[in-house]
Amino acid sequence: MKPGVTSRHLLEVRGLVTTFATESGEVRAVDRVDLTLDRGRTLGIVGESGCGKSVTALSIMRLLPQPMGQISAGSIHVEGTELVGAEPETLHRIRGNRIGMIFQEPMTALNPVHRIGRQIAESLILHKGLDRRAALVKAVELLERVGIPAPEVRLSEYPHQLSGGMRQRVMIAIALACDPALLIADEPTTALDVTVQAQILELIATLRAESGMGVMLITHDLGVIAEHCDDVVVMYAGRVAEQASAQALFAAPKHPYTRGLLASIPHLETPRKSRLPTIKGMVPTLADLPDGCRFNNRCPHADDRCRQQQPALTSAGPGHQVACHHWQRIASLEVTP
Amino acid sequence: MSTPLLELRDLATHFPVRGGVLLRARGTNRAVDGVSLAVERGETLGLVGESGCGKSTLGKTVVRLLDPTRGAILFEGEDIAGHSRRQLKPLRRELQMVFQDPAESLNSRHTVGNLIEEPLLIHRIGTPAERRRRVDELLDLVGLPATAADRFPFEFSGGQRQRISIARAVALGPKLLVCDEPVSALDVSIQSQILNLFLDLQSELGLAYLFIAHDLAVVRHVSDRIAVMYLGRIMEYADADGLMSRPRHPYTQALIAAIPVPDPSRKRARTVLGGDVPSPIDPPSGCPFHTRCPHVEDRCRSERPELREVSRSGSIPHQVACHFDF
Repeated sequence: MKPGVTSRHLLEVRGLVTTFATESGEVRAVDRVDLTLDRGRTLGIVGESGCGKSVTALSIMRLLPQPMGQISAGSIHVEGTELVGAEPETLHRIRGNRIGMIFQEPMTALNPVHRIGRQIAESLILHKGLDRRAALVKAVELLERVGIPAPEVRLSEYPHQLSGGMRQRVMIAIALACDPALLIADEPTTALDVTVQAQILELIATLRAESGMGVMLITHDLGVIAEHCDDVVVMYAGRVAEQASAQALFAAPKHPYTRGLLASIPHLETPRKSRLPTIKGMVPTLADLPDGCRFNNRCPHADDRCRQQQPALTSAGPGHQVACHHWQRIASLEVTP
Repeated sequence: MSTPLLELRDLATHFPVRGGVLLRARGTNRAVDGVSLAVERGETLGLVGESGCGKSTLGKTVVRLLDPTRGAILFEGEDIAGHSRRQLKPLRRELQMVFQDPAESLNSRHTVGNLIEEPLLIHRIGTPAERRRRVDELLDLVGLPATAADRFPFEFSGGQRQRISIARAVALGPKLLVCDEPVSALDVSIQSQILNLFLDLQSELGLAYLFIAHDLAVVRHVSDRIAVMYLGRIMEYADADGLMSRPRHPYTQALIAAIPVPDPSRKRARTVLGGDVPSPIDPPSGCPFHTRCPHVEDRCRSERPELREVSRSGSIPHQVACHFDF
């Protein structure tokens, strides 16, 4: 650890508030979010569209769309370095070097007019000071590591010549080029077929085990969370609804939103053609959020207190936190399977 | 046995692949290549497969948005594969389609009321007052308020827009709905609402569905029977419970194993399938799945297995296109 660095954690986000200027005024896409991720662990962020999971990732990467998106409060420490308010030079040193990122759609993240080799070599030349030849040698190694057959050939190909799964492997190779301490994967398999999704998630798990990096995995798929994450943060409308270890969350979900989500997914054991439990209403837009608990207009347990007073995250067991006024009463109710 | 509502016999839809400066045909995309299936009245046939397997092409061919290259599409016993547009018009009352993205399939310049009334107008059904009443009924049927009629599609969320397109699809009282990935663009908490709506409509209206999706858990939930498609062909067909509890084809087994299950205590031995789906323009010889199959043998590379019956559940055969028994 560098001198003067005090944080024990790989990633520490405290009180993050990210706002967007829109035609209908300023909206809070992320509202006082805390996250902690340690080396060698996988933290899952799960939620539906507009819950703030991707904006949280973009805030950490300091890649918010400018000038609309602003971090208006909070701190983000990666390996002890504060990123909020950091100089561009500091960010350049960290981004792509200590933090790697992969996105949902590799075709929009890769440059279509540059060969694969050049795109991988770029960050090695920039951050590691390698010359072009050495960087391309390393690129071949990286392609091999992410399971791309005939890497020497692929080096001189363009992104459109690869399949979706291969492109995502190339994205992973680029993200891992500089041995990052933190990998942020934003819906990395959502655009892929289920058999290819399984390959990519296994690959990320293997690479994490080999390198000891921390992985922040953002997804809407609770199945992916259950199979690949150690810890989970459930987000709803810009706030953390619940956080716990994956074991605890799936064994005993506390927040009515988490419970509703889990119940509404058809499982292989659910009686066929039976009506599924639902969460009523729809996912709110950020411009039109209810007062108090943001889930109150969809929650079956909401009362006046929920409509007026925003619940704080409170401890609901070891490492388990929930933002609900009534979690204790709800926990005693039967979980709908 | 009575005639199935819909029966496909050796249906194929091929597209020419053009290239070069003169755009000459250079090959053929065999998107659907010899599919035989049946949908019974009031039942749901689920059709699953990965991208590029031809499931959407099959759906569009069934409702004749695409022309088949060969084979028969028997709707209530009548072959509609070669029907002209005019011959198809009366069939549109019986056979409708719901698409994945309601933002694209609904014209944003029309009010919701006009959109739902349009099929009634085209088929000259009812007086204006009767149509207006029917629109209200349909809105109520799909769980939307009557006030929605005067608003525009963009004022609604994704789930509500899908309700609008379902109302439009059932306006003429069809017997069969072809649903192409109808919930995959929706948020998780909204998916179950729409799946329930499909189930309710089926029991209220006696609708049959050809339900096309990539999510096997969703397909299993709504289907009576399931067909698994790969590179334009059916790999396995069975009743939904039989297919899920005792999958026989190595591809179906891999698909089921690849579904992430929301239960971290369930540690399963996974067979992660290698490779990607090959291109339907130049499909592998022999069994289309042989390039990815963990059990491949020489015979699979040269000889294409046909669908064969391996067991039976009541009147429903369990069919597998594989040389071997797994």
